[in-house]
Amino acid sequence: MKIFITDNTSKCFFTAVYYAFAEKNCLITSDSALQPTFDDEIKLVETDEEKVARVIKKINSYDNSAAESINLILKSGDARKEQTAFEFIKKLIEYKRPIGTAYNLTEVVLFNELIYKITGEIHRIKGLLRFTECADGTLYAPYSPDNDITENLMPHFSARLGGQKFIIHDLKRKKAGICNGAEWIIYFADQAEIKLSENQKIFETLWKKYYKTINIEFRPHEKQMKNSMPVRYWKFLPEKHDL
Amino acid sequence: MIETDKLEILTAGAKYDVSCSSSGSRRKNFSGGLGNGAASGICHSFTPDGRCISLLKILMSNDCLFDCEYCPNRRSADVRRASLTPDEICELVINFYKRNYIEGLFLSSAVFDTPDKTMELLYETVLKLRKVYLFNGYIHLKGIPHADETLVMRAARLVDRMSYNIELPSESSLKLLAPQKTKQSLLLPMKNLKYAITYDKENKIRKNRALPAGQTTQMIIGASPETDGQILKLSEALYGNMNLRRVYYSSYVPVVQSSKLPATGAGLLREHRLYQADWLLRFYGFTVDEICPENQNLSSEYDPKCAWALRNMHLFPVEINRAPLEVLLRVPGIGAKSAYKITEARRFAPLNFEQLEKMRVVLKRAKYFITCKGKFYGTDNISQVKTALLTNGNGTEQLSLFSAPEISLFALSGNQ
Ligand code: SF4
Repeated sequence: MKIFITDNTSKCFFTAVYYAFAEKNCLITSDSALQPTFDDEIKLVETDEEKVARVIKKINSYDNSAAESINLILKSGDARKEQTAFEFIKKLIEYKRPIGTAYNLTEVVLFNELIYKITGEIHRIKGLLRFTECADGTLYAPYSPDNDITENLMPHFSARLGGQKFIIHDLKRKKAGICNGAEWIIYFADQAEIKLSENQKIFETLWKKYYKTINIEFRPHEKQMKNSMPVRYWKFLPEKHDL
Repeated sequence: MIETDKLEILTAGAKYDVSCSSSGSRRKNFSGGLGNGAASGICHSFTPDGRCISLLKILMSNDCLFDCEYCPNRRSADVRRASLTPDEICELVINFYKRNYIEGLFLSSAVFDTPDKTMELLYETVLKLRKVYLFNGYIHLKGIPHADETLVMRAARLVDRMSYNIELPSESSLKLLAPQKTKQSLLLPMKNLKYAITYDKENKIRKNRALPAGQTTQMIIGASPETDGQILKLSEALYGNMNLRRVYYSSYVPVVQSSKLPATGAGLLREHRLYQADWLLRFYGFTVDEICPENQNLSSEYDPKCAWALRNMHLFPVEINRAPLEVLLRVPGIGAKSAYKITEARRFAPLNFEQLEKMRVVLKRAKYFITCKGKFYGTDNISQVKTALLTNGNGTEQLSLFSAPEISLFALSGNQ
């Protein structure tokens, strides 16, 4: 089988799609952990703007909101994201009309499932992200999401926090969204050294106290809590650490 | 700075209020301000009882002059008392909000002075929060019964949602258990607020619009003898006449010993059934008469939709490829999301049983009520159907509806 390896950017993916259309049996991936077998043929894809434009034009001609969904799915943390997107594009071109709601097609179901995981995590993190206040007033939020969603969170928090300076730091991808109170950009950032404000501990303690008190102790429903707030997110939640 | 002790007392006093939803408001931020509204609502944490924390739910004071029988803060109770100043509350909200702990404030209070004075201080708090602290996040304010109407109306133009709690499902129970509250003192402000909301809507008033997220109410279940049928009739009337967004049901918890109150709580199952029935009223096109006769309770064995279907077997099975949306919604096991998926997908091709499974439509219950391309996968043996629809034992039903349906419904409709 022919395997197209991309550099994990969406342009490189669309270039790969261009090549992959000429193949009968192939795979597109950016997964560096991939173990090819003996008769696989590896092809490293290099971005080609012209091919990108042609593929996107074709996609738009059948469904002009599909490209947006495809760009979103490429932010997934799932190793099958490129292949899932590619299968979806093949179906789109076969049907020649929007297929986002064709829930009877396996390709569409799988595509929507990955999309749902990403939009679901974005919605969840809008609630679960925690900022700590630094000495200079900047708000700093470290986190480690399943999907690459920092860019998707920045508009939400910059609208909400008004003129505040803030940083959202994806420790897993070493990537930080930095907002100066007006505009935001994405930086590659390994580690951050922060000095906490005087009030930080006080409000964190009040919050933990609140969390403890608002719980109705004789009606435990641990399972429900963990379904809504999976344990992997607890690391950054002060209320899940002892008072 | 507010002391942790005070926070503890005033949180404990507010925690049995069920409503925590932050949905329904699109309030925009402005430069220099803090916060905005998210129409779908956002949960910021979940407590070990499985409930969502969205708002900072707190009392301004628990030092009450009223003497509601069921309330741990009533005048005659011997409990620690505490109060917060408007500034203390504002500071707490701003600092919690900045750190993304909360979506906003749910402010309530015991009646610590005359109803007017109490309402005045609540008003002052939300006014400060909006105009001095420039807070644009979500605010839910509890209304104080008997308080001055103009104060209530002014507050309504600052906050997103208000609630007057109906407290008990009948006037006689209210008299017995909450003697200082009257039906009139709860329903009149509700009605006035409804008029204000309607007026703003009809005149397209945007600025300082009254209650963009509407009104809600709450009642205690199982502290008094009303049946589920009576309770649901009341809810139906409140949705119809007062345009309420939600009626919350709070199963009675015996925190207070009293000869006028039952010794045991109502239990979560009853509360859960009421929420399911309420859901059927609001989103599935059912009427109370279909779900529950006035002098009866809901079934504990079957959820209300299954119970209805078992009484109406002659209407089934329905053909999945032809049944209109409102009929699909009445099939046990098919929720709003699945019904929507089916109506969309069948435009591409007729659906068979395997495809429904692939679409993640749960067929365990539905299969007894549908045909796919004319083929029936259920049984004519009614006792087998009944067993399949039973709730208990297999743990398929989750005993909490606090926030989950709101989210899934949002996913379906894209807005409120
Ligand atoms: S008015 Fe009644 S329910 Fe409210 S705090 Fe006072 S005693 Fe409790």
